[in-house]
Amino acid sequence: MAEEESSLIEFEQIDFLKDRHVRFFQRCLQVLPERYSSLETSRLTIVFFALSGLDILDALDVVDKPSLIEWIYSLQVLPTEDQSNLGRCGFRGSSHLGVPYNPSKGPGFHHPYDSGHVAMTYTGLACLIILGDNLGRVNREACLAGLKALQLEDGSFYAVPEGSENDMRFVYCAACICYMLSDWSGMDIQKAVRYIRSSMSYDNGIGQGAGLESHGGSTFCAIAALCLMGKLQETLSERELNRVRRWCILRQQSGFHGRPNKPVDTCYSFWVGATLQLLDVFQYTNFEKNRNYILSTQDRLVGGFAKWPDSHPDALHAYFGICGLSLIGEAGLRRVHPALNMSERAFEHLQQLHRTWREACT
Amino acid sequence: MHGRVKLKSSAQQEEEKRKEREKKLKVYLSSRDACFSKRKQGLLDEEALQLTQQLLSANPDFATLWNYRREILLYLETIRSEDEIQRLYEEELSFLEICLKVNPKSYGTWHHRGWVSTRLPRPDWARELSLCERCLSLDDRNFHCWDYRRMVVKLSGVPVEQELQFTDRLIGSNFSNYSSWHYRSTLLPLLHPGSPEAASPRREPPTSSTCSSPSASPQTHSHRVCEEQLLKEYELVQNAFFTDPNDQSAWFYYRWLLGRAEREEMISCVYVSREGERVVAAFSRPVNVSLHTLHLSPLVLAVPPHSFQHSCHPLSSPVICDLPPGTISDTSNEHNMTVHWTERRTHRDCALYTGSDVCVCVCVCIPVLCLQLTLPLSLSGRSESWCRDSATDLELFRSELSVEKSSVLQSELQSCTQLLELEPQNKWCLLTIILLMRALDPLGYEKETLAYFQTLKEVDSMRTSYYSDLCSKFMIENTILKMEYAEVRVFSLCDKNLSTVCHLDQLLLVTHINLSSNRLLSLPPQFAMLQCLEVLQADDNAIESLEGLYQLPRLEEVSLKNNNISQISHLKVLSTCPRLTRLDLRGNPIAQTANIQSELAELVPSVTDLLL
Repeated sequence: MAEEESSLIEFEQIDFLKDRHVRFFQRCLQVLPERYSSLETSRLTIVFFALSGLDILDALDVVDKPSLIEWIYSLQVLPTEDQSNLGRCGFRGSSHLGVPYNPSKGPGFHHPYDSGHVAMTYTGLACLIILGDNLGRVNREACLAGLKALQLEDGSFYAVPEGSENDMRFVYCAACICYMLSDWSGMDIQKAVRYIRSSMSYDNGIGQGAGLESHGGSTFCAIAALCLMGKLQETLSERELNRVRRWCILRQQSGFHGRPNKPVDTCYSFWVGATLQLLDVFQYTNFEKNRNYILSTQDRLVGGFAKWPDSHPDALHAYFGICGLSLIGEAGLRRVHPALNMSERAFEHLQQLHRTWREACT
Repeated sequence: MHGRVKLKSSAQQEEEKRKEREKKLKVYLSSRDACFSKRKQGLLDEEALQLTQQLLSANPDFATLWNYRREILLYLETIRSEDEIQRLYEEELSFLEICLKVNPKSYGTWHHRGWVSTRLPRPDWARELSLCERCLSLDDRNFHCWDYRRMVVKLSGVPVEQELQFTDRLIGSNFSNYSSWHYRSTLLPLLHPGSPEAASPRREPPTSSTCSSPSASPQTHSHRVCEEQLLKEYELVQNAFFTDPNDQSAWFYYRWLLGRAEREEMISCVYVSREGERVVAAFSRPVNVSLHTLHLSPLVLAVPPHSFQHSCHPLSSPVICDLPPGTISDTSNEHNMTVHWTERRTHRDCALYTGSDVCVCVCVCIPVLCLQLTLPLSLSGRSESWCRDSATDLELFRSELSVEKSSVLQSELQSCTQLLELEPQNKWCLLTIILLMRALDPLGYEKETLAYFQTLKEVDSMRTSYYSDLCSKFMIENTILKMEYAEVRVFSLCDKNLSTVCHLDQLLLVTHINLSSNRLLSLPPQFAMLQCLEVLQADDNAIESLEGLYQLPRLEEVSLKNNNISQISHLKVLSTCPRLTRLDLRGNPIAQTANIQSELAELVPSVTDLLL
């Protein structure tokens, strides 16, 4: 009797409740609860989690694509008539500053405190691609000028031109932006590579910056950025790559954690999993234990995933939990591109766009 | 958004919460609007500070508001006295503390505090350090706090010794403090730098620019620690892992202590073929292939040096230097040449003597410091010569650990083995022992290493396939070493569960290779480096593709029984091997194809002995 019970519980724990997650992301796109208010300025990133999540769930047809595309374009910080704000262009996180609604290609609105944010420019472009847009209204030159203005001498990036913290997260955002726009003039690759190398830690993980503790998130940002730049083999010797592989593989406890001696957390199934995938050793991890952990953090009532079991789900962990499952080949999920962090389908659309741009040039 | 636990509440509690939320929302909205209108009007005053304070308390990641606040403070600096400014910033610090209590992991808050610390006319660093201590006592892994502390230490000029004592205290009270060990790893090299060895060049990947990286990783030699301090550290770390063998902090630190030696870069092998009229040089790592980095003297090359691979990858090892016809083919002439690797300012001399029966090659390896070493060489009755030594091989494979202090490594091995008796299931201990054994004597400890790997796979079953891969690699390395000691050129690794082959760039001299009864899926392009290969046996694998058997000048026999070769297009590459006479394809799907005999006769006419 006890055996039957436990196998029943096991079965409950291991089924993936796709519909719930679709509804979870739909709700994220409509209204967010009050406790998300501190994320108002990063609203676009929440939209990214929802849209990319729905894409991986192969359920994008539930969203109103055209109106979402309009909204995203309204967040573009466009150059003004006199082009005086080029170094501040990109995308903003939401309309919290009160800049008038304008989804067209320009010109921009003069506002002394309006500027793009590197993570919003990244997620804004990614969302447009996921929604099948052709980036026709993106002012590429302005975005790249805005990006260039954010890079520091040591190769890392600020988030905003007025200054902020600078670390590996923004290096990754920058690499994604250049990759999507197919234009690396937005950053000094050599300096960025140097910053990445200098962030390698004594234990062979990669930290947010030089001298800082290795972390699964920053390791992903570094490796994925190098892959997008096409500089992985050139920057790290085979020996060094083996060391990074070892550090990453040892992050699996059941699911993955982000640093030694920390509890496992659903989102690291993607951060560390994708890194292992990019380094060609993901097949050495234990898929079953990974899956079981991720699913133990699934919220069976409202959908979504949390970082730990018996905790409230949120958009970030819902998205990365699903990506983590996609990496291990969960049925019914689209494959996620481990470097660019979107579905392979969206990635294909981007490749097609790039082909079209190339042809237009010749 | 992080880790909120579910709580149940009654309907009444829900209603109260809702009312409270509505009130908060009203306040928030009015504050925000007031704030922006002030900023728009360019008003930088205390009231603005008040407004932003309210908003930031609710949302500390509103970057624009922090920036506005900085603007206000900077402006106030210009119109207030120093005492007033001091008070202003001290109030700012108090405000920031409140924010940190609410969210100790907010990037914006810590960043602003860092900025404020640089603006205070009379900074109170003791206060900042005490804040960090309190914060870390609540969460010793809060990397924001650690990073802030590092900044404070730097700005205030706290001596490194003091910080080291700080980590002593933390580690002493709790060995399992990963961040403390990490911090220690950055402090130690500052305090006790190892002697700068001129002979050992920094290892960096080649970059197109000539300037070296200013902030190098902790793996390069400038982060070494002097040996005396090292022994003290070993003791500290041993205390830690003997106390709690399951905590990884100390093991990672230990591994780092054991392994900071830099590998000397060198030309590992030079092979000269009179008949092929070429010189092939293998290196300790892939090199930039061009006339600027590599050249022979006094010979002139027919074409620029090139690699085996077809790809345009700029890095390669080994490197082929083709000589113009007739340069060295005349056996009655002696030839002296030097292979220069200009990037590392090292070179190897090679001499091809006269005589039809015996050909001796004297090689002299000159490292950067210009020490002359004469190395024993291989005698051969054939029209080729080479230069390679077993010390080179050990150096290539072992280099994780510091080579010169084998007595230290030996005593470390003893300690770990003792611990293993107490904790036979401890994976960290097993891994470290394997590492130490490979450093001390890979061949001598081969049996033990394989046994420990078996235990490791059982104890840490989650990573079984990773350990299998690692084990295969070590077996290949051992086989290469054995080859060298036996002074033979036969490489044999049968029935070892190999799923891939590696280190092919070190098998330049091999004439016979046997990889039968493994799990190989292909003979990858790197196989083309085996320029001396005469006989290949790879029966009972799962090989489908033979890409690597490309232009192997001496290959005569190939045996691929019981593999997965099914398409004749995959065999096309064999036509590039002019001396191939025997080919065994029995037990492959392709053997059943109609007309296969005649098709192969056409494809590889040199083959006289074809087995299907």
